[in-house]
Amino acid sequence: MYTGKIIPLKLTIISLLSLSALFFCPFIGITSFSLQEVISKEEFRFIFFQIRIPRTLAAFFTGGGLAVAGMVFQALFRNPLASPYTLGVSGGASLGAALCIAAGAGSSIMGISIISLGAIGGGVLSMVLIYGFLLSKESNSATLVLAGVVVSTVCSGLIMFIHQISPLHHAFQIMRWTMGGVDGINYQLLLIMLIPVLLFFLVVTILLPQLDQFMTGDDIAYTRGVNIRLSRNILISITALAVGFMVATCGPIGFVGIIAPHACRIIIPGVRHRMLALCSFLIGASFLTISDTIARVIAQPAEIPVGIITAIFGGPFFLIVLFRRKNRLMM
Amino acid sequence: MSISKEIISIQNLHAAYKSNVVLKGISLSVRKNERWAVIGRNGTGKSTLIKAVASIIEPQSGKILVNGKDILSYNARSRARQIAYVPQKTDGVIPYTVYDYIMMGRYSAMDLFAVASQKDHSIVREVLALCNIAHLSDRIMSTLSGGELQRVLLAGAVAQNTPVLLLDEPTTYLDPAHERLFFHALSRVHYHQDLTVIMVTHDINIALSYCTHICGLLDGHVAFCGSSEDFKSKCPSILFELFGIQFHKYSSDENTATVFGAWGAECIQAK
Repeated sequence: MYTGKIIPLKLTIISLLSLSALFFCPFIGITSFSLQEVISKEEFRFIFFQIRIPRTLAAFFTGGGLAVAGMVFQALFRNPLASPYTLGVSGGASLGAALCIAAGAGSSIMGISIISLGAIGGGVLSMVLIYGFLLSKESNSATLVLAGVVVSTVCSGLIMFIHQISPLHHAFQIMRWTMGGVDGINYQLLLIMLIPVLLFFLVVTILLPQLDQFMTGDDIAYTRGVNIRLSRNILISITALAVGFMVATCGPIGFVGIIAPHACRIIIPGVRHRMLALCSFLIGASFLTISDTIARVIAQPAEIPVGIITAIFGGPFFLIVLFRRKNRLMM
Repeated sequence: MSISKEIISIQNLHAAYKSNVVLKGISLSVRKNERWAVIGRNGTGKSTLIKAVASIIEPQSGKILVNGKDILSYNARSRARQIAYVPQKTDGVIPYTVYDYIMMGRYSAMDLFAVASQKDHSIVREVLALCNIAHLSDRIMSTLSGGELQRVLLAGAVAQNTPVLLLDEPTTYLDPAHERLFFHALSRVHYHQDLTVIMVTHDINIALSYCTHICGLLDGHVAFCGSSEDFKSKCPSILFELFGIQFHKYSSDENTATVFGAWGAECIQAK
């Protein structure tokens, strides 16, 4: 049933949760400290401001960005399993990065490393491939996800191939990269990622009413006055680009894009995209921020790549979503 | 009564949908406030015709004029202020409340950010009452029964407040009771406001009792085009021509209503 009256309450709780994740997580890690210690000790101040803050912000916006990207894909393709990960965008980006690593590309253009550019290119390219498939005859949203799985599988096969034939230090770099992680992010990398991601948020915000209409099906949306082709092209390109930048910066982080929108639909069912986008962003952002904090402390003194944590938590959730589809309360 | 204005003019339309159903030169003139039923066998192009009028598919040749203007020259929003469309069924689940879904029908009348005005809210409430679904307003669409869903889809199109409403087999999947509720709601709408209706249906008796005009399609051509009375006077021979099986006329004892049915008729594959 409709839960209109408690939506503001739930939204407040989600907002408080994510804000406290954003506030407290930078203090926790291999070395934990309090606010007082940050102020008083030079060493902690450096860790806090130069390492933890950019890292936490990267996790926060990547989590939120992937969640909104997942929401956009789910609405555009009317498929609950659509996300940057399942549609092969992350896979393509990883392949692009792996190729650049194997080629020994170490330089950078305008502050963006060649490896990142390879990831962005790979992500956009695999999206073009999937979109081309969508526009071809006889495709529907079920075959779309199958096509995404195929793209992901082929990409990971190729990555393993490159991994095997590469010299050891490249092979290690590829493996570490494909696990995904927000460690080692400085303010410059953060800024390069934030610009396209914020642009993506802006475009999505403007097109939220159109996303609402997409969920009713192409024919209804079209006859209600949505320029379907234009809106879809804009949304797909900007989303693919933003995902490319996020994967380029943080590696392929799975399941956030699927989990967050569905968690929102479970917590506050029946909402339109204006609320869904905000809520997905907050849940995705706090999920990745908390996951990254867990990744820092769970196997001390070693750090686990955050992609592993999200996969361990996300996999089972993915299954729950699959099972819950039966009761048709969700999408 | 003044002669009402032509609102839709279909001129020598050729169109194909999914490359197998073909319209081979359809011409049809629909005047304001008329209610048309498009009937014919499966695969004769009924849905193609209605999708072409909704401009979901583009004609290969020929023209469709709406209020004297080519449908292709309208932009998405201005077209949506002229023509609303109710599909046979929705593909996939619509995860909104009934109220929100109907409000979304106001899209073409809203500004860029689709913020609902007081007027939009009052229109939605009016449509909810008109279609007898006010009690469903807080329900989520995916929890509705097929019959309820179809009336909500109708309400969403009515909220668009267009002079033309297109219905593609709106009651095909409904039981007789929900079918009646659907047409009861539709009757209330066009009693309440000016509305030109074109609908595809397989139910001859619905077509004859609800619609003022009939367009019978056969192999992508117009085989009959005229008023329901005219059609009735040619029944059942015209039905044999259209469907290739023998229909019979049945009269009820209590009143003078007559219905047509093909029960017990032999299937003759007439071309």
